[in-house]
Amino acid sequence: MRHLRACALRLANVFRKRQSDEEFAAEIESNLQMHVEDNLRSGMGKEEARRQALIRLGGVEATKEMYRERRGLPIVDTLFQDVRFAARVLRKNPGFTLVAVATLALGIGANTAIFSIVYSMLLRPLPYKNSSRMVTVHTRTAMFPTFDISASWPMFQAIRQRATALESAAAYQSTEKTITGQGEPAVLDAANVSRDYFEQLGAKAGIGRLLSEEDYKPGQQLVAVISDKLWRTRFASDRAIVGRTLILDKQIYAVVGVAAKNLRFPDRADLWMPLSLTPDIEENHTFFMFQILGTLREGESHERLSAQLASIAQELVKLKPALGKDLKIISQPLLENTVGDARESYLVLLGATAFVLLIACANLTSLLLARGWGRHREMAMRAALGATSRRLRRQCLVESCLLGLLGGTAGIGVAILGVDAFRAMAPAGTPRLDEITTDWALIWFSLASSLLAGFVFGAVPSRRAARIEPLEILKEGGAGGAGTFPKFGNALVVLEVALAFVLLTGSTLMVQTLAHLIRQNPGFRTENVLTFDLPQPPAPAAPDQNKETFANQQIERIREICDNVGHLPGVQEVAAADHGVLSGMRYVHSGLELEDAPSDQSVLQGSVMERYISPKYFRILNIPLVRGREFDQRDMRSAPKVIIVNESMARKYWGSIDVLGKRISISMAGKGKREWNEVVGVAADVRDLDIQSKAEPEFFMPLLQRSVRSYHLFVRSEGRADALASAVSRQIWASYPDQPVTHVTTLQKTISETIGDQRLHTVLLGTFAAIGLSLALLGVYGVISYSVSRRTQEIGVRVALGAGPGDVLRIVMRQGVALIACGAAIGLAAAVAMTRFIAGELYGVKPNDPATLLIAFLLILFVGSTACWIPARRAMRVDPMVALRYE
Amino acid sequence: MSEKKDVWQGTLALMVLKTLDTLGPLHGYGIARRIEQTSGDLLAVNYGTLYPALLKLEQEGYIRSEWGVSDNNRRAKYYKLTRAGKKQLESEAREWEKTTSILARFLSPGEEPS
Repeated sequence: MRHLRACALRLANVFRKRQSDEEFAAEIESNLQMHVEDNLRSGMGKEEARRQALIRLGGVEATKEMYRERRGLPIVDTLFQDVRFAARVLRKNPGFTLVAVATLALGIGANTAIFSIVYSMLLRPLPYKNSSRMVTVHTRTAMFPTFDISASWPMFQAIRQRATALESAAAYQSTEKTITGQGEPAVLDAANVSRDYFEQLGAKAGIGRLLSEEDYKPGQQLVAVISDKLWRTRFASDRAIVGRTLILDKQIYAVVGVAAKNLRFPDRADLWMPLSLTPDIEENHTFFMFQILGTLREGESHERLSAQLASIAQELVKLKPALGKDLKIISQPLLENTVGDARESYLVLLGATAFVLLIACANLTSLLLARGWGRHREMAMRAALGATSRRLRRQCLVESCLLGLLGGTAGIGVAILGVDAFRAMAPAGTPRLDEITTDWALIWFSLASSLLAGFVFGAVPSRRAARIEPLEILKEGGAGGAGTFPKFGNALVVLEVALAFVLLTGSTLMVQTLAHLIRQNPGFRTENVLTFDLPQPPAPAAPDQNKETFANQQIERIREICDNVGHLPGVQEVAAADHGVLSGMRYVHSGLELEDAPSDQSVLQGSVMERYISPKYFRILNIPLVRGREFDQRDMRSAPKVIIVNESMARKYWGSIDVLGKRISISMAGKGKREWNEVVGVAADVRDLDIQSKAEPEFFMPLLQRSVRSYHLFVRSEGRADALASAVSRQIWASYPDQPVTHVTTLQKTISETIGDQRLHTVLLGTFAAIGLSLALLGVYGVISYSVSRRTQEIGVRVALGAGPGDVLRIVMRQGVALIACGAAIGLAAAVAMTRFIAGELYGVKPNDPATLLIAFLLILFVGSTACWIPARRAMRVDPMVALRYE
Repeated sequence: MSEKKDVWQGTLALMVLKTLDTLGPLHGYGIARRIEQTSGDLLAVNYGTLYPALLKLEQEGYIRSEWGVSDNNRRAKYYKLTRAGKKQLESEAREWEKTTSILARFLSPGEEPS
C-alpha cells in the first residue's frame, strides 16, 4: 500500500520538477541560514560561521541530486528524455523517417487488415448464445457419400432423445417463399423452424415477438417472423409492421415480429415460420429434409457426440435396413460449418502479410544498422560522457519503438482503407461478410504489432550501439570500424529476398490460375445471354388429377412467357431449363437402367447429372449436337419419351457415341415401373457445371413434359444482354403480375462471379507480393549503396591503381547479385515447401510448376540487379583524388 | 582521528520519527541537530541522506510538511508526525528492541542460551 502510494506520488512529481526544485533550494537555504545563526550565537566570526556551516552541509549539488532521485521516478524521467531525444533525431532526418514509417505502415497495415478479416471471419464467436458449443448435424448416405445432406424427422427425434452430449437440438428447413401483393413479386429465403429454435440461438425480437407455442397448433392463422433486413428494405422500417399480413406462395401470413438485427441464421434467411409436419413425414426415414442445430452440453466433447451419433446411425439402420449400411450421422462446429473452405485461403493470406511485415522489419533493421554505423561517434561521445551501455541500448530501442508506433499509427489508416477495399471487392458468398468491421481489435493489434516490430528491428542495432568502445572510436577519428555490419546486413538482404521470392512465387501461381480461368472456354457461347429464374408455386399435395392439371397449366404458362419474351425487340431467341449453367448447381440422378445391357450391369452405379431443357437450348448456347436432333415442339407431354445424352455419358455407358435409338430408364431402379426413354441426340461435352470442372456424364430431358419447382430462362439478345433486363421483367409482369423474376444476370457475369474468390485472392496476394518485393529491393539498394559509400576509399585506391569503370561495376554488382541469388535460392526451397498451401485454389497450374519457379527466379534476379545498378553507377563515378582525400 | 559515525540508512527513519514524536513539528536542520545531540555527538547526520529520507517518509505518508516560521523569524519547512507515522514508530521501535535484545544475547559473554 505504502509503496504504491509512494510510487504514485513519485510519478506525479515527474511532471512538476521546476516547482519542486525551487522549493528544495529554499529549504536548503533556510537550513544553511539557521546553521550560520547557531554558529554566530556560539561565538564564531561571521566568515567562519558561514564556512563551518557550508562544510557541515556538504556538497549541496550532490544532496540535490539525491533528493531529486528520491523525488521522482528516475527511470520514467530518463524514458521521457529518451523519447524526446528520439523524436528530435527522427525530425532531423525526415527522409529516413519517412522511408521507415512508410515501410512499416505498409507492413503493419497489410497485416492488420488481413488480421481483422481473419478475426471477424474465423475467430470472433458467432453472435448467438453459446455459439462456441453449437454444432450442425448432417447425414451421409451411400448414394451421396461426399455430400452432407439433411436429416429425417425420425433421425432428429432419435438424436434429440439419445445424443446426451447435446444440451438441446432444434430442426429447421431452409426453403423459399414467393412474396406477392405489395411491390414487385420476389423470392425470399425462409426457414421453417421447430419450437425451440429461437431459444437455442438465444435470439430476441426487435419488434413484436418471436414464435410461440400457440403458433404451432394446427388450424391457427399462419404466422411469420421477418428479418431486420427485410423489414428495412421491403417495409421501409415501418414500426407498425406487426399484425400486417403477407402473401407468401399465395397464402396469407400474419407478421408477429421482427427479429433482432444480429439474427442471421440460417444464412440470409428473411422469414421464419413454424415447422409443420404431416404424420407421413414424421414416420418417413428417407425424407432427408431437416437441418439440425445442436448445442453441446458444457464440458462435453465433440468426440463423445460423434460416438453417440454413430451408434444412433447403427440403430436406425437396424430399424430400417433400406437406409443402407453406409448411413453416417456427423456433426461439425457451427463456426466451422459457416466458414467452410474459406479458412485455409485466409490463413494463407495472413501468412503472406506476416512475410511482408518480416521483410519490413528486416529492411528497417538494416536501415537502422547502417545509420547506427554513421552515429558511431555520437554514441562513443555519449558513452565517454558517462552514459551506461544499458542507457545507450535503451535509447536506441526507444527510437525504434517510436518509429514502430509512428508506422503502426499510419498502418491503422492503411488497414482501415484495406478492409473497406476488401468489403467492396469480396464476392457475395464470402462467409460472414457483413460482420467484417474495423474495430478496436484492429487498433490494438496494430499498435501491439508495431511495438513488437520496434523491438524486433531495434534489437540488433541497439546491442551494437551498447557494445561501443568509446576510446577506440574517438581515437580513430575517421570513418572507423569496418566491423561486422556488412555480414549481418548481407544476411538480412538474403532473408528479405527469400521471403519476397516466396510471395512472388505464390502470386505468380495465382495470376496464372486466374489467367487460365479467364481464358477457359466453357465450350459454348456465353456472350449476350441474359438469364433469370422464374420460381414456381409448389404443386398441390393430392390428388393426382389436380397435379396433372397443375402441371399442364405450368407448362402452358412457361411456353407463353417464352413466346412473349421472344417477341420483345432486341431478343433473338429464348430457351428454358430447370436450372442454370456455370453456377456450380448440380442436379443428379441415380439408379439409371439401360435396356440392352446384361442384367447384372443394367443398373448404373453412381449418379449422373440431369438437366431438363426446352427446345432451342442447345442452339442458344451454341452447343453442337454430334448425333441426332435437339428437342422440339414434337416432344410434348403426351409424346413418346425421348432423352439426349452428352458424349461423356455415351462413352461411359455404351462405349461409343453412336447410341441413337438406345433406351434408358430414369425411374429409380426397383421403384415404380420402368419407363423407357429413347436416345434421340448426343450433345458435345461442355463445362456447364462450372468453369473449373471438366464435363461429366449428363443427360437431358424435355422440360415441357413435366412440372418443376423453378424455371431458368436463357435470352439471347442482339446487343448487350443486361440492357434487356428490365424490359423482360416488365413483359412477364404484364401478363403474370405475381410471377417473381429473380437472379437476373448474364452468363458472362455468372462466370466472373464463379471465379470471384480466386480473383480476390489473386489481387490480395499480388498486392502483398508487390509490397514485399519492393521493400526487399529497397533493402538490397540500401545495403549495396551503403557498402559502396563505405568502400569509397577502397574503390578510389583501385581506380588509382588502374581499375577501369567496368572493373568497379563488376565488384559492386558481384556483391549484390551474389546476395540476391543466395536469397532467391533459399526462397526457392521455401517456396517448394510452401506453395502446397495454395494448391487448393490453383487451376491449370501445379503448385511446384518449374516454369513458374524459373520465371520468379529470373524476375527477382533481374529486378534485384537493377536495384544494385544505381549504387554501382555511383561507384563507377568515384574520383580517386576525392576518395583518397576523404580520409 | 575522532571518527563520527554516519547514521545507517535503516535507523535514520526511526530516529527521525522518534525525534518528531518527542519534539513535535521541526525543520530539517533541527532534526539533524537533535539526532546529533541525542547521540552525544557520536553520530553525524549527512544532509544528502537526511533530506531524501524525509522525502521518502513523506511520500509514504508517515510525516507531513509545511512551511512555517522559526523561533528567530526565519521561514523553514516543518515536518510533523502523522497518525500513520506514530503507528509506524511504535512498530519499528518494537522491532528494533527485539533485534537489539537478540544481538545482546549473542554478544554478552559466558552465557549459554538456555
